[in-house]
Amino acid sequence: MKKRIAALTVALSLSMFGAAAVCAQAPAGAAAPQAATVAAPQAGAPAAAAAQAAAPAANVAAKAVATPAKGGAAPAKITPNRGITIGMFALIIAVTMGVVVWAAKKTQTASDFYTAGGGITGFQNGWAIAGDYMSAASFLGMSGLISLYGIDGFMYAVGPMFSFIAILLVIAEPCRNAGKYTLGDILCFRSSPKVVRGVAALSTVTVSIFYLIAQMVGAGKLMQMLLNIPYRVSVIGVGALMVAYVVFGGMKATTWVQIIKASLLMGATTVLCLLVAIKAGFNPVRFFTDVVSNSAIQEHVRMNVLKDVIAKPGVDYGQRFLEPGLFLKNPLDQISLGLAWALGAAGLPHILMRFFTVPSAKDARKSIIVALFLNSSFFFMISVIGFGAALYLTPQAISAVDKGGNMATLLLAQHMGGGAGSLGGDIFLAFICAVAFATILAVVSGLVLAASAAIAHDVYVNIIKDGKADQQLQVKVARITSLFVGTSAIVMGLMAEKENVVALVALAFAVAASGNFPVIMLSLFWRKFNTAGIVSGLVVGTISALTLVMVSPVMTYPKKIAADAKKVVETLEKKQAGGAVLAEKEVQALEKSRTEYVKNKDGKSMVGLDAPIFPLKNPGIVSVPLGFLAAVFGCLLFRERRAEEMFDEIDVRQNTGIGIASAADH
Amino acid sequence: MSEQQQWQAIANHSKFIELKRKKRNFLFSWWIISTIYYLLLPVISGYFPEAFRVKVIGPINFGYLFILSQFVMAIGVAIYYAHVANKTFDRLTKQLLEALQ
Repeated sequence: MKKRIAALTVALSLSMFGAAAVCAQAPAGAAAPQAATVAAPQAGAPAAAAAQAAAPAANVAAKAVATPAKGGAAPAKITPNRGITIGMFALIIAVTMGVVVWAAKKTQTASDFYTAGGGITGFQNGWAIAGDYMSAASFLGMSGLISLYGIDGFMYAVGPMFSFIAILLVIAEPCRNAGKYTLGDILCFRSSPKVVRGVAALSTVTVSIFYLIAQMVGAGKLMQMLLNIPYRVSVIGVGALMVAYVVFGGMKATTWVQIIKASLLMGATTVLCLLVAIKAGFNPVRFFTDVVSNSAIQEHVRMNVLKDVIAKPGVDYGQRFLEPGLFLKNPLDQISLGLAWALGAAGLPHILMRFFTVPSAKDARKSIIVALFLNSSFFFMISVIGFGAALYLTPQAISAVDKGGNMATLLLAQHMGGGAGSLGGDIFLAFICAVAFATILAVVSGLVLAASAAIAHDVYVNIIKDGKADQQLQVKVARITSLFVGTSAIVMGLMAEKENVVALVALAFAVAASGNFPVIMLSLFWRKFNTAGIVSGLVVGTISALTLVMVSPVMTYPKKIAADAKKVVETLEKKQAGGAVLAEKEVQALEKSRTEYVKNKDGKSMVGLDAPIFPLKNPGIVSVPLGFLAAVFGCLLFRERRAEEMFDEIDVRQNTGIGIASAADH
Repeated sequence: MSEQQQWQAIANHSKFIELKRKKRNFLFSWWIISTIYYLLLPVISGYFPEAFRVKVIGPINFGYLFILSQFVMAIGVAIYYAHVANKTFDRLTKQLLEALQ
């Protein structure tokens, strides 16, 4: 077994290297057409056609390569030094693979596989939980949002940070005391175990897969943007590594990969934040005075965000950057999102699973406090980085590279390291890229593990086998399931390249908050709660969240895209008719909008709608109460005496931790 | 005594009732208080944005400080909970376990 693991690890690492090397070679010649064949085969055609063919999914690489072809204009693109970057990627892969080999040797029983045998300390688990929160979305996306929209981006950080309070006060310790490996274990105490396990497994798999696909697509696009690695290669590469971590190393490897990544990420963020602070002389008042009096920021707020072509008298556009409302427009949507965070994170199966890796409730408590400390400092530093990027790079330069601002952290690292092309800039940028890569790997592994545990432990071992499976069989099944889940995630990631992944993340959180959270709470704290309540709560919460997201504005509505494109076409045609000669950029925009209009004018959204029915991007404010109500009604309609009588057991267990060891074989 | 009766016996133990009551009161009241404070952020920024515009120190306004205060609140609640849990809840649990033996 050991030999097989080692051989497979080596083979996997080599294939990753191979893939990276193939991509590295092509652009090494630096000749534009050659690079173009890697990123976008259409670039051989006239520039306009290439730009038009580029997918709406911000195929920055293709556009940037197309630019030099038409000559002149400097390409707005971030170009990490491939040699250094790939070297750092290789180092991360090598170190984590070492961890996997070590962990694989220690993974003998089901408890080893799902919970690292309960042998993670509170402090270590705190780092791992913090790592689950520090995704690429927060590391790159949040700082980008701040650099383009100011304080609204910072407000986004409060939700994830606050979600620890619900977890700390009402979820972590009771779940540690009453649980074992999965959501199903917590819920099935005093209910019909098979039904409840089945429904809980379904909900766990749904939430984890949505989240997982979003991460895979993000990974593919990020690698494509940074290193010109084709989308397919990066999704398969990330997927292969993730499968290796989970299948061989189980929870132990997944936790340690998460800890390594969290420390790298904290390190990188601290250095970058310190560099900004040094530049600002450790004086926040001076820093923000510089931000509000920066003419580029003022112009960006006026022209790009508020679209005031002529400055309105009495408006301080610089100060406006520090005021809310530039990005978040609908207050009700914000409250709804806030609610989804405050409750949803506590219902995410891959977070829940982390409480089972520590030996006692006291350690679970400690791990949440450590995670809260780490994450609040992380999010605060990200805000400094975001404002620093706006100040030292200008929002215009950041949005020129990526419209959503996702490259702000990377550009700032390059700038602070000494600028593009300098050794310091190259090294720092390469390091941050590698950290972003490690972040994705660590987060996807935890998700695969959570989904596999639900299938292998709840469905196979407890429903199909009636809990009668020896340790060896359990571990074997868990490994096969992880392989299956990981492979499916790769296939779905490849198919979802053009999909709107924002909706998937919204879905995951909405389902966790409206389905999982109410039934966990009620199972732990309400005497009358029973099977019917669990099933109706999970089903109604999940379905209402799914339905509302499907008809919400986060989905893609082709008619809306067509209408926007039509507006651009009309404006530009009017300009043309007026006798003005269009700039090259405008000609391109005109062409692109025309094709977009034709392509989308008769389209319908995924569920066949022309426009959203539900006005909010986040359904939490409606679906969370629905989930709670359904759980309460379901349970009161079908009263179960046995469940009420057995409440004493769960009550004693969750409050005191009595029977925590025997929880392993209930 | 059946297993269920054993659990029932613990559940009716005076120490357990004390522990449970103290825990519930503490956890739910702090959870509700902190959630209300947290939800004030989207409510104020969405419905009363003028409040966030009030400058406090130089260009730093009330909005920015209010967001920072959320961080302070969360850390404060966490530290206070850890303190109470280590001092009171863990002690009561230990006493209960000793009484049961």
